[in-house]
Amino acid sequence: MSHADILETTAGPADAALPVIRARGYWRTGLQQLLRDRVAMGAFLVLLLIVLGCVLAPVYASRVSGTNPFVSNLDGTITVGGQEQPVLEPSTEGLGLGVTPIGPTWQFGPYLLGADSQGRDVAARLLYGGCNSLLIAGSATLICLVLAGIVGIVGGFFGGFVDRVIALLLDVLWAFPIYLLAISLSIVLISKAITIGPISISAGSLWLPTVIIGVVYVPYVARPVRGRVLNLRRSEFVLAAVGLGIPSGRILWRDILPNVLSTLVVFAPLMLALNMMTEAALSFLSIGVQSPAASWGTIILDGVTLLYTRPLVAIAPGLAIVVTVLALNILGDGVRDALDPRSKVRIRNKK
Amino acid sequence: MISTIIRRLAHMILVMFGISMIVFLIFFATPGADPAARIAGRNASPETLEQVRASFGLDQPLPVQYGLMMHRLFVTRSLTSFVNRGMAVVPAVMEAAPVTLSLVFGAAILWVAGGIAIGITAAACRNTLIDRLLMILGLIGVSMPVFWLGEVMNLITQSRLHDTWLFAWVPALGYKSLSAQPWEWFKTMVIPWITLAVMYAGLYGRVLRANLVEAGQEDFIRTARAKGLSETRILLRHALRTSLISFVTMFGLDFGALVGGGALLTEVVFGLQGVGKLTYDALQSLDLPMIMATVIYASFFVVVSNAVVDILYAFIDPRVRGTGA
Amino acid sequence: MSSRRRPLRHVVALAAALAVCAAPAARAEQAKEHVGGTLRMVARSAAGTIDPQINYTIQFWQVFQILYDGLLAFQKANGTAGFTVVPDLAEAVPAPQDGGKTYVFKLRKGVKFSNGNDVTVDDVVHSYNRIFRISGPTAGSFYNNIVGADVCLKTPANCTLSGVAGDAAAGTVTFHLVDSDSEFLYKIAVPHAAILPAETPDKDVGTVSIPTTGPYTIADFDPNKSMKLTRNPNFKQWSQAAQPAGYPDEIDYDFGLTDEAEVTAVENGQADWMFDQPPSDRLNELGTKYSELVHLNPLLAFWYMPMNTNAKPFNNLDARLAVSYAIDRTAALKLFGGVSLGAPSCQMLPPGMPGYAAYCPYTKNPGAKFSAPDMDKALEHMKKSGMAGEPVTIIHEDTTVSRAIATYTQSVLEKLGFKTSMKALSPDIEFTYIQNTKNNVQISVSQWYQDYPAASDFLNVLFGCGSFHAGSDSSINIAGFCDKKIDADMQAAMATAITDPAKANTQWAAIDKEVTDQAPAVSLFNPKHVDFVSSRLGNFMFNAQFYWIPSQAWVK
Repeated sequence: MSHADILETTAGPADAALPVIRARGYWRTGLQQLLRDRVAMGAFLVLLLIVLGCVLAPVYASRVSGTNPFVSNLDGTITVGGQEQPVLEPSTEGLGLGVTPIGPTWQFGPYLLGADSQGRDVAARLLYGGCNSLLIAGSATLICLVLAGIVGIVGGFFGGFVDRVIALLLDVLWAFPIYLLAISLSIVLISKAITIGPISISAGSLWLPTVIIGVVYVPYVARPVRGRVLNLRRSEFVLAAVGLGIPSGRILWRDILPNVLSTLVVFAPLMLALNMMTEAALSFLSIGVQSPAASWGTIILDGVTLLYTRPLVAIAPGLAIVVTVLALNILGDGVRDALDPRSKVRIRNKK
Repeated sequence: MISTIIRRLAHMILVMFGISMIVFLIFFATPGADPAARIAGRNASPETLEQVRASFGLDQPLPVQYGLMMHRLFVTRSLTSFVNRGMAVVPAVMEAAPVTLSLVFGAAILWVAGGIAIGITAAACRNTLIDRLLMILGLIGVSMPVFWLGEVMNLITQSRLHDTWLFAWVPALGYKSLSAQPWEWFKTMVIPWITLAVMYAGLYGRVLRANLVEAGQEDFIRTARAKGLSETRILLRHALRTSLISFVTMFGLDFGALVGGGALLTEVVFGLQGVGKLTYDALQSLDLPMIMATVIYASFFVVVSNAVVDILYAFIDPRVRGTGA
Repeated sequence: MSSRRRPLRHVVALAAALAVCAAPAARAEQAKEHVGGTLRMVARSAAGTIDPQINYTIQFWQVFQILYDGLLAFQKANGTAGFTVVPDLAEAVPAPQDGGKTYVFKLRKGVKFSNGNDVTVDDVVHSYNRIFRISGPTAGSFYNNIVGADVCLKTPANCTLSGVAGDAAAGTVTFHLVDSDSEFLYKIAVPHAAILPAETPDKDVGTVSIPTTGPYTIADFDPNKSMKLTRNPNFKQWSQAAQPAGYPDEIDYDFGLTDEAEVTAVENGQADWMFDQPPSDRLNELGTKYSELVHLNPLLAFWYMPMNTNAKPFNNLDARLAVSYAIDRTAALKLFGGVSLGAPSCQMLPPGMPGYAAYCPYTKNPGAKFSAPDMDKALEHMKKSGMAGEPVTIIHEDTTVSRAIATYTQSVLEKLGFKTSMKALSPDIEFTYIQNTKNNVQISVSQWYQDYPAASDFLNVLFGCGSFHAGSDSSINIAGFCDKKIDADMQAAMATAITDPAKANTQWAAIDKEVTDQAPAVSLFNPKHVDFVSSRLGNFMFNAQFYWIPSQAWVK
């Protein structure tokens, strides 16, 4: 971005020589900065591909893999290299114990990555699972950041009794046995559904893991936010605003919030990673996504029981998570660099 | 000073009792949680069921049961498990504590050292290949579910490569006492330490690097630079201090949670009978006395670690001192 | 009813016992070089209390068989010879008197507890009273037939069974029963009827070990860590068949490893035997690389899916028949670990059970054996039922096999037209959850293992009206099935068994058919038990009643 972009000339007849500096705005400048960051754009592309993969999952399932990835296929067969093989191969050597699902064919067709213990196509489930994992982790992160932001700001800004109550609640939340709550809720929901306003949470609903994951990490983010707000409250421009008699609401909105937002933006990709992990853990304990729906967590759960014979079933979703988290973090770095006014100054000065 | 301590103590007790009450309520609100049939044994007759219910006090109103349980837990310390009858839960937790402490302390040393090393190196070599490589490695560590990583480690060290020189030294799974067999203890814990530390080292390294880079733009750092101090000195002596705030806060929260039994899946995978494993078993069998004991134990450590973090906060960031926060 | 007619079963038992006793001279010679060493067993967790009169798990019954003795015992022999009841602390298996309502046991002399005291008639009487005083799980089911049991069930504290009388001078214990019972001798031989010292406290001992009469005693027990058994110094073998001397000097039973870790431990020689079944992804490895170290034994057990006959949609017979025809038992067996690990089953009784007659209606070409599911017939019944579109939730255990079977069943139910969902619960909780009608469970995945080898243990216990208690966590008739005619038939069969076991068996076979035709549950398969042992372990003996006998293992 050259200086010329910032200086906009309004070519009027009388004041042709007077340049008018009109700033583009914080967010718009940030966006333009971001678009020029090649690494971040690369990461964004990867994410786009992942989302695309998830959107195209039904097409993949019907055209490429040919089987329904949500239905057990214990008796199916496929032709590999001219030979017909059962999808679940019973062992024929020795005592003939055990049944092994077919391994990866590495060909663009059915069972690209092999089959799981129910004979379902892992690659197709991976695509569908990506949707659920991203949805849950993304929504949970949003919930977490919003709640942590509110709690951190309120506690840090108002201080005193309010702050102490909030600290108490955060401690209770962090020490709370969230697994117990999740197990209990999941058992309660078997027979009846909980309705909160327009949202109805029943046993298979994705809201249950989303809300639990979102809420459990609130203290993790709220504390640094609170620390940041405490710092800001003592900074000169805020003290000046208070001294001028500007109402708290306005100070919060104009001064505190944007700064807190940058903290939250730093945390966002990290929280997304942690939330994906928590989703995997909850699915591992069977209190996350319910069968036959897939998420990367449930595929890992299936894969762990096949670890000694078909490790790819567990490795593939793990790799998918790693790639997604990497892309999100690189993008997140790019966003933070783009939005941070000080880093902008630094960049321009370097030229 | 005294008033702060008293306030902190009151805070702690409030948290612990609050949690215990909520846990109690959740337990009894869960359908299928009633332990009488499981205690009585399969196919017990209705009379037997009633006898068992009476002898365990399960027919009494909830507040009475809660009071009795708290009394047995704290005063007489004779509270016994519903599942392993006759086993007192408090001694069980006390015996499991050293195992968890061994695991968490060792892993903590590894991840703090690793995190600081990664963070500083990455910040110093900012935007070079090393920086990016370290960040990617760190992220990979964070994105692997710890239970999955543990199982893979077991697959490699106990099964696939167990007979090679690489991993022949790895002993059988299961905890060996530090006082009785120190060398065996160390060998047993190495792989679990690495497994647990891998995730946190990457996370902490990233956070530290981000904070260091951000601190690099602060005014006081620019002053130091203008004064002519070397970059290393600036990094290590000035920037590090403020950047450690987030680090310390997160460490406090994570360490507190782990010591209280948060590493339950790691303990299960490696066969370590720590507090985490007790928690996991208690949740699987809905063993209320054990759940209460482990929950209170865990909340105690969380609150204590938060308190310690707040104190350290005041030391690290001089700006926070004197605010009475 | 003549009292002089000895039921054939007892004669066979005596003959078998004598035959086994005659063999051993050669065995005693071999034995000496293998005596000694420490046997290392591993399991994922302990199984509750070590009170033999309360614990009702196969895991600890397997250990109790070498610790405690009853008046009678199941013979410690390989395979189904293990179903034979032989005299243990009693000198002989008594003949039933008084129309099967009186049994007189003569107590063997010279047997001591591990604390040095002799076993007396008083101990026997006390032990039977204790079953009621501690409200043992089977007090109301196995032992409610003893005279005075009803009083004891109502007020257990300090109660005394009027129907158990000891005569110290004659050294006999006499049992008076309310009704004759063909299964009474089995009930005397299970650990709930173990003879304990009279001074044992009248409450669940939990983790405190009770003095034993067998070759071992519990030296230490920490439910989170391990159980240690050492030799009972006061044990002198009195019956090879009932309680043979043990080979290992010490037995260490460690808890805490996952099943994957257990397999690895046994492979590496760090343990000698694992209790839990090997996980499915290790089975191939075990069957090929370690095939000589794997022992497969059929069990009197089955995996089945009870359907709630009192709630939609399975209160409709056609809906149940549809599911029964649609499920592929071979596929379920594959999910369990392969067709070598069991046999597909369409009926309620397992093969080997007295009264079993092969019967499979739910297959293409119905007959004796299962071949393939009949989807067409299933859809026909589905149409007749009109239950298409009904929501169904499948409850299953949070274990690999249970989840796999439930997932497969979900696919099948969807094909039939139901709207399905699945829910996992941890195994401890699932078992009581599916029994309670308050939870409105429609279909679940469960297993049933025999208490002792009698057809009533499957048919009457699982499908009798008396086993159904609405709103209770303990209602083992999970399907809620109550058919008055079938119930009456079962009572008749149990009565016949006392005098004419052969006739009773044909009656049970007919009842089995009747119940199977009503399809209150989908029977899946009869599993085999997999025992994986270390290379150094020898003399593997598998008793069909209590499974592998640890005391007979050679570790030297």
